[in-house]
Amino acid sequence: MSDFAGMEELLQDFLMEAGELLSQVDNKLMDLEKRPGDKEMLNDIFRGFHTIKGGAGFLNADNLVALCHRTENLFAKLRNAELTLSPELMDIIMAATGSVREMFGDLSQAVQPKAASPALIDRLEAALHGQLSAAPSLAPPSAHAPTPTPTKAVLPEPVAVSVEPAAADDINWDALHAVLTGVPMPQPVAAPLAPVVEAARPSVHPGYGAPVDSPAPSPAHVADPIQELPTPSRGAPSAPAQNLQKETTIRIDTVRLDQVLNLSGEIGLTKNRIANLKSQIVHGKSDQETLKALDIAVSQLDLLVSDLQNAVMKTRMQPIGRLFQKYPRLARDLARQLGKDVELVLSGEETELDKTMIEDLNDPLVHLVRNAVDHGIEGAEERQAAHKSSKAIVTLSASQMGDHIYIEISDDGRGMRPDVLRRKAVEKGVIDAETANGLDDRQSLHLVFLPGFSTKDEISSVSGRGVGMDVVKTNINKLNGKIDVISVPGQGSTFTISLPLTLAILPVLVVRLNNQSFAVPLSMVREIIPLKLKEVQRVSGRATMVVRDEVLPIRSLARMIGWESQHSPAFGVLMHAAETTFILAVDGFVGRDDVVIKPLSDIKPRGIAGATLSGDGSIVLVLDMEELLSNVGADTHMSLFTQG
Amino acid sequence: MADKNLKILVVDDFSTMRRIVRNLLKELGYTNVDEAEDGVVAMQRLKGNNFQFVITDWNMPNMTGIELLRAVRADPSLKHLPVLMITAEAKKENIIVAAQSGASGYIVKPFTAGTLEEKLGKVFDKYGM
Repeated sequence: MSDFAGMEELLQDFLMEAGELLSQVDNKLMDLEKRPGDKEMLNDIFRGFHTIKGGAGFLNADNLVALCHRTENLFAKLRNAELTLSPELMDIIMAATGSVREMFGDLSQAVQPKAASPALIDRLEAALHGQLSAAPSLAPPSAHAPTPTPTKAVLPEPVAVSVEPAAADDINWDALHAVLTGVPMPQPVAAPLAPVVEAARPSVHPGYGAPVDSPAPSPAHVADPIQELPTPSRGAPSAPAQNLQKETTIRIDTVRLDQVLNLSGEIGLTKNRIANLKSQIVHGKSDQETLKALDIAVSQLDLLVSDLQNAVMKTRMQPIGRLFQKYPRLARDLARQLGKDVELVLSGEETELDKTMIEDLNDPLVHLVRNAVDHGIEGAEERQAAHKSSKAIVTLSASQMGDHIYIEISDDGRGMRPDVLRRKAVEKGVIDAETANGLDDRQSLHLVFLPGFSTKDEISSVSGRGVGMDVVKTNINKLNGKIDVISVPGQGSTFTISLPLTLAILPVLVVRLNNQSFAVPLSMVREIIPLKLKEVQRVSGRATMVVRDEVLPIRSLARMIGWESQHSPAFGVLMHAAETTFILAVDGFVGRDDVVIKPLSDIKPRGIAGATLSGDGSIVLVLDMEELLSNVGADTHMSLFTQG
Repeated sequence: MADKNLKILVVDDFSTMRRIVRNLLKELGYTNVDEAEDGVVAMQRLKGNNFQFVITDWNMPNMTGIELLRAVRADPSLKHLPVLMITAEAKKENIIVAAQSGASGYIVKPFTAGTLEEKLGKVFDKYGM
């Protein structure tokens, strides 16, 4: 059973907001390493832990409260210059934030987090009291066993969280105010006089500090709330945790939501208008005026619906920074582990992307960032030998151009050499020698995306975790995206991911072939031209046509999808896809449309991305041009015009 | 018994916390609740909106709860407004500062609807609401 029955919504809210907060804290910590004395920053971080603690209290997540409390205290002391930031201290803080994140992980499984590792608590306590030794390494926080007793010894001051309120909470406020200021509280009506201190009563949340039963807990009794808060659920080892899926809620700017509401209201009105006109027409009133009114109403509806689609799509858009902000920490930890000095620089965090895509991008981006730090960036000596600055820079940026989002991960590391990649690919049996010789440098770089390819001879514990670049590519392709790589040996590599703005709605051009409708993405279409036999020329055996002094190959859709064409194509669609410009020969075209692609499950014809319905209810197949274009050359003159 | 239609402003930078307080207030029957994410926004809201009660967090960016409290007490049109401070800390120094600055009451996180009701009740008694 869930530890949070009845609080699921609160828990979700908390995890989302606190998760973001923690990522911000992580990033600020990164900045703090550069400017250790920045009071503002210290205060921000302090407040971050403080806020998380406050929220965690309402969830009765006592272990989290305790950990945040200590870390917060540490920052209070740093802020007040009672302590100074040292690398050892930084490590402890990093370990603490790591542990907080793990606890969030537990919470997202709807289980109360386990206590932080005793070693971490000890170190935090030692740091708090300025007794930091460079000594023990931090055991990974997990420890199913309850905190062992030794902790008590290092706790001269009880953690204040649930202790003091009982004593301090029930003071007569007015009396205190009067005593302190000599001025009575501004109050309209005289207050009934109350004793200065009421009978102490523990104002403790039920379940919070469970063992405290006596009305006035003595300080001795509450020496260490951490140890005295057994979480009952921990006894039953992880009863199949009710999984609170990854993220089922979304935060939307109310302005955007209002827009959706407005539009749906307008659509309702227009619908009424149409219904009214319909009943008039049904009753035989079909004069010019009525029909014109219907025409106007329908085009209005058309406009409103497309506005609504856009508005709904916008509600799903989230800034990619939410995702990006997790990575500087990841890069830092990994770099430290590998003994490298790497800074991850972010840009374009405000770029917005469909929510589902943001979630699905996480794994590929994690891999690419790790890959850049692990494989891209050289070791310190190699960098020195190459006269590079000892600090390596990995940049992660996002930008929008037209209806695509571009995400770039680039490093200033050693780059990749096409010839080495070819050799490795052959050695590993990914491709044969003949194929390898036929590859140009660009194609060679793409070898890294093939399954079974990894340039390091030994799989490292860092990047080689069973998922390779091929998985990254597959994941990106699933999002209708593409991944490309360029690399300059000695100067670094850049991976570029391009993604459509949304998966929901695709503007297309609908073309006809043998009485079947096909849709091609409108973003690839440049123009439509008539195909005339006499204008088609043969260039080295292939059908081509000259358009404005440019020789373009002609590719027949029929041949690309393996159909017999029944007659000669009448129209050509001038398209630009997969970095080539060509003319797609078709029988005719229907027009442009906005479609919602339904994936074809079970069957996957080559080159078909999915299906959609046209206005008249017939099925339109949506073409996957990328797939169609792979390995298909231009048609020969003969094949194009012999039949029919 | 206080008017359940009491117009209350909840001030906290953590939206989860505003929601918690709002839900607790709802549990107690108070539904006329508005929110502000820091002291600056709260001051803007308070001016001319006839709020009757303020519940504010202590630790916030831009303008802290205690600064808000001082600003309220310094404003002739707002100075009689009851202000309940919420904080995670129950340190003596904090309580003293709050009292000196003119807080009407003080509640420590985490709290239940019951605790909140009791705290509200005390402030109501004091203000004759």
